[in-house]
Amino acid sequence: MRLPDRVTGLFLVGLGAAAAYGGWQLPPVPGQPVGPNVFPLVIGTGLALCGLAIAFGIGHSFEEEEELIPVEGGQPPPPTGKFYGLRALLPPALLLFYVVVADRLGFIITAALIVFVTSTALGARWKLSLPLAVLAPIGIHLIFSKLLRVPLPAGLLPMPW
Amino acid sequence: MLKTLIDAFALISTWEVIIAMFAASIYGLVIGSLPGLSATMATALLVPVTFYLSPIAAIATIVAASSMAIFSGDIPGALLRIPGTPASAAYADEAYAMTRKGEAELALGAGVWFSAVGGIAGTLSLMILAPPLAEIALSFSTFEYFWLAFLGLMCATLVARSSPVKAIAGMFIGLLVSCIGIENPGGVPRFTFGMTDLFGGIEPIPALVGVFAVAQVMRAMLTPEPPPIPRRKFGSIMAGQWRLTKKYHWQMTRGNIIGIIIGVLPGAGADMAAWVSYAMSKRFSKEPEKFGTGHVEGLVEAGASNNASIASGWVPSLLFGIPGDTIAAIAIGVLYMKGLNPGPTLFTEKASSMYAIYLMFIIANIIMIPFGIVMIRLASYVLRAPRSSVMPVIMLCCAVGSFAIGNNMFGVVTVATFGIIGYVMEENGYPVAAMVLGIVMGTMVEQAFVTSLIKSDGSILPFFERPIAAILAAMAIGALIWPVLVWVWRRLKGGAPAAASVR
Repeated sequence: MRLPDRVTGLFLVGLGAAAAYGGWQLPPVPGQPVGPNVFPLVIGTGLALCGLAIAFGIGHSFEEEEELIPVEGGQPPPPTGKFYGLRALLPPALLLFYVVVADRLGFIITAALIVFVTSTALGARWKLSLPLAVLAPIGIHLIFSKLLRVPLPAGLLPMPW
Repeated sequence: MLKTLIDAFALISTWEVIIAMFAASIYGLVIGSLPGLSATMATALLVPVTFYLSPIAAIATIVAASSMAIFSGDIPGALLRIPGTPASAAYADEAYAMTRKGEAELALGAGVWFSAVGGIAGTLSLMILAPPLAEIALSFSTFEYFWLAFLGLMCATLVARSSPVKAIAGMFIGLLVSCIGIENPGGVPRFTFGMTDLFGGIEPIPALVGVFAVAQVMRAMLTPEPPPIPRRKFGSIMAGQWRLTKKYHWQMTRGNIIGIIIGVLPGAGADMAAWVSYAMSKRFSKEPEKFGTGHVEGLVEAGASNNASIASGWVPSLLFGIPGDTIAAIAIGVLYMKGLNPGPTLFTEKASSMYAIYLMFIIANIIMIPFGIVMIRLASYVLRAPRSSVMPVIMLCCAVGSFAIGNNMFGVVTVATFGIIGYVMEENGYPVAAMVLGIVMGTMVEQAFVTSLIKSDGSILPFFERPIAAILAAMAIGALIWPVLVWVWRRLKGGAPAAASVR
């Protein structure tokens, strides 16, 4: 997912310009010089300027010195396969899956699927991921639904409490 | 004074607060000690739970969990050479070298002891600094608030460990996110694209959970599992700590002071404090050649520093609603939810609550010593938990927690979206802390800016007319052009080769 600075910079130019234009289009408050349009205009312009600076490599010299610092520890593994990087998109995809199906299937079933997939993707054998997929949703349901009274969707498998 | 102190004691000596602190301490210790789960993430995931607690108990959980997590990050740093939280990364090598020399007890003991001392020093700074600053802040108008917020945003970009231009861009992205919704000077739907879910704006807490928790799970998908910790017996952990305190009392004090200063600066938190203090310790040490070979001196200074920054980070948060670090940014969200809106009047109207916060910080740092010792002894069991069993639970907490904030599925969409945004930004060198600051402060910056402009009838001059505003403006503009000056100076000195030879 590491993109060249030119790409991210130009994306920011586009985003900033769109924000500034969008802000400029907003209706002003009658009888007042400044309204909801000023702030997005300023922010958008600033963002576009930053994007330009990044695209042209200004301020890049600061970055190189600091890259030596290991923040997380552990070396990145050699990427295996072409779609290895796409694995990173699994967590947000699972969350969106939760949004779509939780109301129909209910919390317990959806959560069990999420736990099973995440755990397997991180290399767990089914001996670990299967019991985890059963116990973790029940535990979380107990804490959030029973103790904290969050209205989690019951769906196909309502819990007895 | 005495009466408020007694009131504060009464506030915190309820069973709810005591149980909340106890549970949050254990939670913080466990999450902090697991590599890849940071103190900020621990705090962010705790927020949905705080919804259902009383205000003081809610703050108690945040205070306890964040203090414990920052210490507990030292444990895998010393035993595995993998920092549990980024705040321990600065001296993980040093601590591991000590373990290899057979001094694991001394390294971990120094971690817990000087963390506790640092935390208490930070709390004292909060107690001493905040009330007089509140007196001054009472006379602030929107002009001062605007410059203060501006200065806060600039600080965050200056201290970022990446390119300042990217940090500024990150901050602008955060401010742009805060523009979404109808809560703006005109009350018109702005950047909502016709989606009713966006009318209320982006809630900061799901955004923070996404940036710090979901992005971390995404990163875990691509990084190898850390090695399991070897089982070992520990000797006495606290032995020799008093001797170290006497020997390195000056280093400890310096670490405390640096930590306090960095904590107060908006956007810079415990990890920054640890890096700066470790570097400083090496720079001023009488025996710098011993650094890196398992020398305890840097551990003392950096350990005292990162915990001091946690408490002092609350100073600007409580006074102005400007977060001192990312943990304080979350704390501000909780303060607003609980009706303790940050501002100087908090110290006069809710004085007993403020004293309760001080007391909770001190208690958290005292109980850190026994809890920490137990945690160190149990570490080989806790750290055995494989990542593939921890991360799925984190995922569930993200989904349920973000849903619980508004009982609305849109929160989960926000978490997923900000997970992607945070991951992509971090991968490409854009500091997410700057964006978080922008999101948290956006509404306040806009309000101060637009109100000031309306008051001044569109003129820029009144922004500089009041004395404090003028001083703040000078500092803010200085902070803005400083990177430009450095850049120009480096270019004049001979461009890239010279810059490369510096390292």
